[in-house]
Amino acid sequence: MKLLEVKSLTKQFGGLRAVSAFDLSIEEGEIFGLIGPNGAGKSTLFNCVAGVYPPSGGDVLFSGKSISGQKPWNLCKRGLARTFQIVKPFASRSVLYNVMVGSFATTGKSAAAERKAREVLAFLHLDKKTEILAGNLTIADRKRLEIARALATEPRLLLLDEVMAGLRPTEVDEMVAIIRTIRKNGITVFVIEHIMRAIMALSDRIAVIHFGQKIAEGTPAEVASDKNVIKAYLGEEYAVS
Amino acid sequence: MITILEDTINGILMGSIYGLMALGLTVIFGVLKVINFAHGSLLMVGMYVAYWAVQLTGLHPYLALILVVPVMYLFGYYLQDIVIKPIYKAEKQVREPITVIIVTTGVWYILDNLSLLVFTPQYRSLPDNPLRGKMIEIGSMLISVPKLWGAVTAVLTAAAIYWFLQKTRMGRAIRATSLDREAASLMGIRQYSIYNITFGIGTAAAGVAGVTIVPFFNVFPTVGVLFDIKCFIIVVLGGLGSIGGAILGGIIIGIIESVGPQFMAATWTEAIVYGLFLIFLFVRPSGLFGVKYDW
Amino acid sequence: MTRERIQIFFLIAAAGGALGLPLVITSPTYLHILILLFFYAYLTTSWNLVGGFAGVLPLGHSTFVGIGAYTSTILSLQYGISPWIGMIIGGVLAAIAGVVIGMPTFKMRGAYFALATIAFAEGFRVMVENIDYLGPFFLNGPRGLQIPPLNVGLANFMFTGKSPYYYIILVMLAAVLILTYAISRSKLGYQLVAGGEEPEAAAALGINVARAKLIAMAMSSFLTALAGTFYARFTLFIHPKSAMSLDLSFEIAFIALIGGRGSIAGPVLGALLLRPVGDFSRIYFGDKLPGLHLIIFGVVLILVMIYQPRGLQEPLTRAYHRLLDRLSGKIEK
Repeated sequence: MKLLEVKSLTKQFGGLRAVSAFDLSIEEGEIFGLIGPNGAGKSTLFNCVAGVYPPSGGDVLFSGKSISGQKPWNLCKRGLARTFQIVKPFASRSVLYNVMVGSFATTGKSAAAERKAREVLAFLHLDKKTEILAGNLTIADRKRLEIARALATEPRLLLLDEVMAGLRPTEVDEMVAIIRTIRKNGITVFVIEHIMRAIMALSDRIAVIHFGQKIAEGTPAEVASDKNVIKAYLGEEYAVS
Repeated sequence: MITILEDTINGILMGSIYGLMALGLTVIFGVLKVINFAHGSLLMVGMYVAYWAVQLTGLHPYLALILVVPVMYLFGYYLQDIVIKPIYKAEKQVREPITVIIVTTGVWYILDNLSLLVFTPQYRSLPDNPLRGKMIEIGSMLISVPKLWGAVTAVLTAAAIYWFLQKTRMGRAIRATSLDREAASLMGIRQYSIYNITFGIGTAAAGVAGVTIVPFFNVFPTVGVLFDIKCFIIVVLGGLGSIGGAILGGIIIGIIESVGPQFMAATWTEAIVYGLFLIFLFVRPSGLFGVKYDW
Repeated sequence: MTRERIQIFFLIAAAGGALGLPLVITSPTYLHILILLFFYAYLTTSWNLVGGFAGVLPLGHSTFVGIGAYTSTILSLQYGISPWIGMIIGGVLAAIAGVVIGMPTFKMRGAYFALATIAFAEGFRVMVENIDYLGPFFLNGPRGLQIPPLNVGLANFMFTGKSPYYYIILVMLAAVLILTYAISRSKLGYQLVAGGEEPEAAAALGINVARAKLIAMAMSSFLTALAGTFYARFTLFIHPKSAMSLDLSFEIAFIALIGGRGSIAGPVLGALLLRPVGDFSRIYFGDKLPGLHLIIFGVVLILVMIYQPRGLQEPLTRAYHRLLDRLSGKIEK
């Protein structure tokens, strides 16, 4: 079943067409990657799906229903959660508090919210840091906190915006493992990522965006050998190896 | 009919002066993204400087500009540098520094009450200045001369600041900072010195406004309170950050205050101004020329 | 003894002390100061619901004091309705006013909300000053309303001595503190804090930030208006310049900010520390150095914002916890 469908989505900022007639469909249970050079329109596309910008044209369907132009908080209630590229922790509050904000999306009771939050924190190996202020976390832990908060809202689709940027190689490997487990638990994952090694290892399918348009789509192997992609983005070196 | 025309003209003149008062507020907001609640107090300080300069030398009130503009510029520059900058440094991540609003409110309290201590609540005026009470007769209409001078000064000041921001190197650096402070600092623009300079310019503009009203208005410690809420309303009407909007917003308020009493008790015009402000907030929150914000 | 026990002991001691104070302090002047101190603590705590937890800056809360004071006074003077009922009606009217101010402004930058609250409050004051009769209701313009000291008794919210007022405001303060505590641990409390700190992240986590702020604003203005009725019954005279002044609005915000916005103890601590400074500098320096206490307020406000942006409650809470540690440690040994 198709969980997310993007149909000829266009987003215009003044005279600039950041995304133009973009098509995309993500199957339930898939890990889908979106890559592209800086300024290619990745984040714009992502933000249109997440309800931050209303699209200028086209449609976004979530489990068969149009969600185009819906506000972020309604999308969250429908089962679409996201993280932010520039992490946005509630810095003056504890890790547990941060995640409870997420788990309150599905319950009104503090006890239930706390239980859910602790569960998620244990899953992300943050359970020893529940009382630390979010502002004092390392960058790797902040990235995990972003994911923990999003997972606490019990999403069907998780949008991850460069959750591996700024991580050390070992931390990247841990993150890859975490994302795989998330999918194993039945959550579909849509990833934007810069770190090629990670996204190639992680994704079932990948789409490549360049100047707002899709130039390739397929399995990591297909994309990596695509002439257009190599030219636009990966460079000769990657094609050789 | 003639009275309405006369009131309209005097309203436009006084309104331009209101716009001049609001000018510094809107310039500071445009760059620092913060409402300076001490603006009325800066106006008050400017008025006192102008008052004493004229009182002690006996010169033409507008000659006080030579003293007021640099003094107020430096005052604003160092006020930002010493009092407000620490907050920005502490809250680099904060999108919108509410704490800065609070600090400027503290500055307001300190300045107003210090001047109460130093100058006592006494009302001071310049009875012998060459502009006081002067009128021009046009047909049967009487136009106030000091307000005419003030209005011309307002337009010239607005034009000068506009020119400065558009055409000079420093002006471009200020505008770049106002658009995106991080990007600007990556380009080698020093954000905090831009803030200091902007605050200095805004304060000097308040000083100019002080000079224009001293010839026909009393100076007293809480005189700023009389005008600062008016300034807030003007900048929202005109669009926060817009220079032309400040003058236009001022003129709208000036006309309402001046023509209104033909139709109702004078005190009601004040209520109308507040009502207009709230209507704008609902219908067109970005004001006449402002940039539309959502969060 | 465990920490919890010591804390409960402190709480009981504080409650006992507060209840017993009027027996010790018999001077009406000091009791008056004390009542106003609690009155301010109540106001700042109510303000804190929106000004602290929701992360915005309301600067026109005296409007709600005024709405509460006028509503209950008019209803009781003209229609003989008990001030207790008028108190609730005034609260509801204030809540509606709060929502009206918040609706267009919560979606925009915080500065707009701050400005809108000031403009609304000042506009409201100017209107009341200009109106003698609002339909059938007698407002008496700038002269205000006098409440004749007749029908003393609980039903009429009127007493001969000062101590009944003391106990009423004490109960009100305790109630609003308990409410704040409950909210801070509830879903709404989490939503407000999240929306105040990082609105985009909060929205992505399913929070309609503007709606949460509106709920907080409605509660805050309702509670503030209740204090308006208390003020009217306590002073027996209300007029626009006292009950609706900008000075009152700013003083509420200042005290809460210095004490520590967004915490439960902060606004109360602020009132406990700053009100006496104001009262005593007025008593001792009022003639020679007018406005001295306001200069002190301003300086303290700036210093606190620069060096303790989360208010004086932060170092004080830390000291309190150290004290608890030490006590519980010693007693266990």
